[in-house]
Amino acid sequence: MTDVTNFENKSMLSGAAQLFRAREHSIEVEARPLTDALPEPTIFNPPAPKRYYLYLMAPAIAVLAFISLYPFFWLIVMSLQSVDIGSSEWVGFRNYARLLKDPNFLSGWGLLLKYSAMCLFMQLAIGLMLAVIVNNHRYEKYLVTALLMPMMMAPAVAGLLWLFLYNGTFGWYHWILQSLGILDSASILASQSTSMYAIVFVDVWQWTPLITLIALAGLKKVPRDQLEANMVDGASPIRNFFAITLPNLYPVLLIAILLRFMDNFRFIDHILVLTGGGPGNSTKILPVYLFEVAFKFFKLGRGAAIALTLLIVTIVLGMILVRVFDKPQSERK
Amino acid sequence: MFYKPKQAIHTPISRRKFLELGGAGATMLGAGSLAVGLNSTIMSTRVQAASSEEAKWRQYAGSKLVFLSENTPPSFAIRENIQSFYEKTGIEVEILTDDLPVVQQKAGIDLRSGKSDYTLNYVQDKPIGAPFADFYVDLSTMFGDDTLPQDPEGYGDGAWFENFLSACGRFYAEDKIIALPYDAAVACTFYRQDLFEAHTKDFEAEYGYRLEFNEETTWKQVLDIAKFFKAIKEGGADVPYGYAQHQGSFAWTTQLDIQRMMFSHGQWIDFPIDDKLGSKRPGPTNWGDEQSVLMLEKFKELGDASHPDNLANGTLELNTVYQSGNIAMQVQYHEFAASVENPETSVASGGRTAYAPCPKGDADWNLTGGPLVNGTNCGIGGIGINANASEDMQRAAYLFAIWSTSNQIQYDVLAGLGGTPTRKSVLEREDVKAAQQRPTNMPNALTFDAVYNHGIKDPHFVLGPKIPEANEYHSILASETQQMLSGQKSPAETAAAMKEQFDFLNDV
Repeated sequence: MTDVTNFENKSMLSGAAQLFRAREHSIEVEARPLTDALPEPTIFNPPAPKRYYLYLMAPAIAVLAFISLYPFFWLIVMSLQSVDIGSSEWVGFRNYARLLKDPNFLSGWGLLLKYSAMCLFMQLAIGLMLAVIVNNHRYEKYLVTALLMPMMMAPAVAGLLWLFLYNGTFGWYHWILQSLGILDSASILASQSTSMYAIVFVDVWQWTPLITLIALAGLKKVPRDQLEANMVDGASPIRNFFAITLPNLYPVLLIAILLRFMDNFRFIDHILVLTGGGPGNSTKILPVYLFEVAFKFFKLGRGAAIALTLLIVTIVLGMILVRVFDKPQSERK
Repeated sequence: MFYKPKQAIHTPISRRKFLELGGAGATMLGAGSLAVGLNSTIMSTRVQAASSEEAKWRQYAGSKLVFLSENTPPSFAIRENIQSFYEKTGIEVEILTDDLPVVQQKAGIDLRSGKSDYTLNYVQDKPIGAPFADFYVDLSTMFGDDTLPQDPEGYGDGAWFENFLSACGRFYAEDKIIALPYDAAVACTFYRQDLFEAHTKDFEAEYGYRLEFNEETTWKQVLDIAKFFKAIKEGGADVPYGYAQHQGSFAWTTQLDIQRMMFSHGQWIDFPIDDKLGSKRPGPTNWGDEQSVLMLEKFKELGDASHPDNLANGTLELNTVYQSGNIAMQVQYHEFAASVENPETSVASGGRTAYAPCPKGDADWNLTGGPLVNGTNCGIGGIGINANASEDMQRAAYLFAIWSTSNQIQYDVLAGLGGTPTRKSVLEREDVKAAQQRPTNMPNALTFDAVYNHGIKDPHFVLGPKIPEANEYHSILASETQQMLSGQKSPAETAAAMKEQFDFLNDV
């Protein structure tokens, strides 16, 4: 741990000054002359012992361990057991071996990746477009409020709402889709080829506003001088968007994508309400299957093994996403 | 200590007065607690309880029970009448109702974790009874206990409709009863008599027999009817589709849907076990044999001739399709007759619908050599007691279980909210007999002849498979069947895939 309370070392102070100078984007620091070092303090506190910090952090570490680390390790232990609630038997890696033979597990992964990719792509494209339209609009406040409404609904309620809208007997959207010739007489939930699009559409409807909201916050921070300079150089609004606006939005879009990516691996309420994973297995993405195994079949050991694989893949994919989006602008080019 | 304005008129209470009031309050509180305590479970002994019929009912006054139930008519009706149980016993009962899958999850966690947050459970035969049978109290130990009240009609098989006690009460052991029949949903055929009559000439011209439905109507004829209506609808006529299956997201009713057709042909069952008792080790499945492949082929044909929303219609949705006039026939549970006969919600009401037993097996489709029957299955909801509860709470719960399944309550549920009785004696009431003919104020009674006089009796009744892995079994079967109906797999591939997964599931 760096001893930040020790100011006796003058080279350290000059090093800090160099560091501040290097941050060219900080106008405040840049304006300060290089020679304007901080006045040397006359009284120094004695350095605190390292264990002092440990004591301070101990309650937070204990809480974190209790709510996060303990369940995580328990999940690993459970995945190596055949668990009944209240009793368990050590089975080693048998749960994992079984997963490799389980067709629902393998198809669940494929469906999850397909579902997640479709949702992310559409939400990002539509959300960004809406943010650009709404940004600085005369009725921006009202439009944002209206856009946020689906997001405020509980996912299970949203599922129920769309279940009625999709219903083949009295559903309004079913009637519209049929009238447009998009659907034949079967409802969108009754066909293996269309049911996936039905659940993707509900997720897009509900969560695109989140992307819009985050992108809108990012748009407010895009430097006007860069935009104006680019336009003075003759750039069209579209080129301006791709050359200036979009690169400036990368950090906020990273947050939006990460949030939605993780949500897609976790939120299954609307799928359970709309299709329950069917027809056939056409919408049984892995989290739906996990729920089924753990809470319908009560195979908690097998459920823990599925959950752990899901967790590991989520973390790895999350790290890849961060690396891709967090590269400095120069490297991206 | 506290700020007091100078001008305030303040009369302090004296220390003596304060102590007097405090003392009086404490004495009253003590006396009240003692009175409640004397009247409660703690002070009641079984000897005292056995002293009179009233004492037997009131021995657990002051207790509270929680009953977790499916959101079906009996629970709503009983909740309406719960005050009369409280007055009879002094026991407070909280009835929590939810969809069956939620009840199954909550009950499962409670039972398996050794807790008793829900003293009483709705024990739906296969989804709840089969996986959790070991966690319920053996009620037979309470039958005949002279420190507990007993129903004058008793609890033997003869007190209930045929097979009902076995359906929800017996799992893996003949002598143990884990639940008493509380409500029933038995399959029978609902068909549009008006449409059948209107199209019988055209149908007869094409198929050579009259368009009608009775207990001799076979599955092959159902397929004919489905094809007939589909053809004339697609030819532009203003008629509904002929038929639709229970192939939506509720896996259990999907399994029941195909089981009826399978059992009708030679009484085919999924595992070579005693179907009414079930088995914890069912052994290799019969799926994959010649008969099962043929049945899947016919089931697929029927699916192709059915309403196009076939794969989205669970049991509830299917009934909505029928009520809205979009199909001419459905095999449905008899408790739905009340909604079908409601003119405010159904175009099939007012005498347009007639009821008959489930379709019969067809000789041309039977490779087993076994009998051809009207394969009829059910969901019999029992009421069971959580074995994790204390002995006193189990006995208190028993009072509620026998009260809620008594003749009077069963009758009240039928007459008041369109429930379906489980006690045979309810049908002996004159007004219930009369209600089986139109006009009726108990619409479910219109199905009683098809259900209670025919479908639930042997050799037509099928229960299984009662196996601990019943829910995973239902899920696999539903998923594979739906894939076949979608054209993703052939019937032979489906049967083979099911065999492989079921044998793997049961460690064969």
